[in-house]
Amino acid sequence: MTELTPDQVQALAAAAGLPLHDGDLAEVTHRLNAFVDVLGGLAAIDLAAAEPAPAAPPDPGPAPR
Amino acid sequence: MTADLAYRTAAELAGLIRARTVSPVEVVHAYLTRIDRWDGVLRAYVTVCRARALDEARAAEQALGHGAPVGPLHGVPFAVKDQFDTAGVRTTSGSRLHADRIPTEDATVVARLRAAGGILLGKLNLTEFALGGTLTYPFGQPRNPWDQTRETGGSSSGSGIAAAAALAAATLGEDTGGSVRSPASWCGAVGLRPTWGLVPRSGCVPVAWSMDAPGPLTRSVEDAALLLSIIAGPDGRDRWLQPARTDPRADLERGAGGLSIGVVTRLVDGPDTDAEVRGAVRAAAETLRGLGARVEDVDLPLLPLAGAVFMALADGEAAAWHHPTLAARGAEYDPGTRRRLVTAALLPATLAQQAARARAAIRAQVWDALARYDVLLAPTGPTAAPPIAAAQAPIASRAEAARRFFNRRSYTTPASLAGVPALSLPCGFTAGGLPIGLQLIGRRFDEATLLRAARAYERATDWRARRPPLPG
Repeated sequence: MTELTPDQVQALAAAAGLPLHDGDLAEVTHRLNAFVDVLGGLAAIDLAAAEPAPAAPPDPGPAPR
Repeated sequence: MTADLAYRTAAELAGLIRARTVSPVEVVHAYLTRIDRWDGVLRAYVTVCRARALDEARAAEQALGHGAPVGPLHGVPFAVKDQFDTAGVRTTSGSRLHADRIPTEDATVVARLRAAGGILLGKLNLTEFALGGTLTYPFGQPRNPWDQTRETGGSSSGSGIAAAAALAAATLGEDTGGSVRSPASWCGAVGLRPTWGLVPRSGCVPVAWSMDAPGPLTRSVEDAALLLSIIAGPDGRDRWLQPARTDPRADLERGAGGLSIGVVTRLVDGPDTDAEVRGAVRAAAETLRGLGARVEDVDLPLLPLAGAVFMALADGEAAAWHHPTLAARGAEYDPGTRRRLVTAALLPATLAQQAARARAAIRAQVWDALARYDVLLAPTGPTAAPPIAAAQAPIASRAEAARRFFNRRSYTTPASLAGVPALSLPCGFTAGGLPIGLQLIGRRFDEATLLRAARAYERATDWRARRPPLPG
C-alpha cells in the first residue's frame, strides 16, 4: 500500500462516521502510515501456512511437555 | 511500624491475621495511613473504599473471635484496577465517560477475592479504557514510586504503584498486551498474565476479547500464585474458560534444578534493548543456570513484529467496541485514546487480515519453542521507566509512531498473541535506581512451572527486599 495523505485519512474518517478533533488528523495519519509500513512488510514473509484462528477452536488439550 | 506491616506480603498478612498476631483493622489502618501520605502524589487510586474497608475489617476481626472458618485471604486488604466492576462502587475504566458508572454486581474475580476473605480497599488508576497512551488522566497522573518524574507503565498503572509502594496487600490488573507486566516491570513488582482462558473476564470492561487476561500484581511470587489460585477457573459466564490443570502453587518451592530455559535473543539482544536491561537479564539467566537449569539461547525471528501485529488486532477489537461512543461522544475521550481508536477503525481490512495471519505464525514460533523449553526468558521491556514527559510529546512522523507504539510492545505481546502465561519480576536496578523487569513465559495452563522458575529466581536474589523511597 502507498502512503496515506491527510486528505485521504480525513475522508476515511468521515466515511466511518468518526469526527476528527484538534490535532487528531496529523497524528492519525502518522499512526496509519506506520501500520502500512510495518504490516505491508509482512508480504515479504511466507505466511502461506499461517491460518488465523478457526471459527470453533478445538480444545487445546493438556499443556505440552 | 506502619510501613513494616504494609510491606508484608498478602500470604504473610493472612498468616498473621489467622494467628491473631495482628488484627484486620490494624492492617487496613496501615494501608489507609500510607494512602493518605503518598497517594496525593502517586495517584494509584481512583476511589478509596475507606469506610467500607474498615467496616469489613471489624467484621473480619469479629469472625475470628467467634472461631468461624475463614478463607485464605481473610482480613487481607486488596485493591483492583478500575476496569473491574464492583457492586455499589463506581467503576470508571479511567475515563470521564464512565465517571459516574456504578455497577450492581462484582466482577467474578472481585467476588472470588472477597469470598476468600479479602477486603476491597479501593479501585486503582489506569490508562483510559485500559488502552495505553493516555495524555491527561482524569483521575490524576500516576507516578512511579521510585522516581515521580517517571512513567509507571500501563495500563494497570495504579495496580503497579500500589503493589510496589505498599498501598495495598495485593492488587489485580488486566493484561491484554502487557498491561500487568509493564507496570510490574517499571514499578518493581511481580505481575502475572495467566493463560488466556484461565481467569474469568466477566465484569471486566473489555479491551480486546481475544487477548484480555486478568492477573495479579503483588510483592512476591508466592502472592501471585495465591491470588491466581483464588481467581482461576470457570464461572459459568465466560464461555471460553477452562479449569486449572494444576494448582499454581504446587511446585513453588521445587527450585530451578532440571528446568530448561530458552533465552529469547531477539528481545534480549535486540537493538532497542538498553544495555543495563540486557546486562540484568543475562545475569538473571546465569543465576538460573547456577541454580541447576539448562539455559540456552533461542531465536524467534518474528517477535520484533509482534507489537505492530498486536496493535492491529487488539486495537481493531477495541475500536469495534468503542465505535458507537467514539462517533457520538468522541470529544470526551482523552486525545491519546481517541487517536489510537480512530487509527484502528480506519486500518484497511487486508492489513488486519495479514496481521491475523502473522499472529498465527508468531503463536507457532512461541508454542514450538515452548515444546523444547519449560520457560522462555526475556526482558519485560527494552528500558526501565521513561520520563512522563517523553510519552506526552506530539507524534511528528510515521517513524516516531512506529518507535513509540510498536517497538516496546514487541517485548510483551508475543505471550498475548500466543495465549500463554507470562510473568514479570524484578531482576535489578539501573544506575539511576529504577527497577528492571525479567519476563518469564510459560506453557499454556502450566502456571505452576512458570511460578516455580520465578520463585527460584526470587529466592536466590535480594531485589524484592528493596523499597521505593517512600518512608512512613
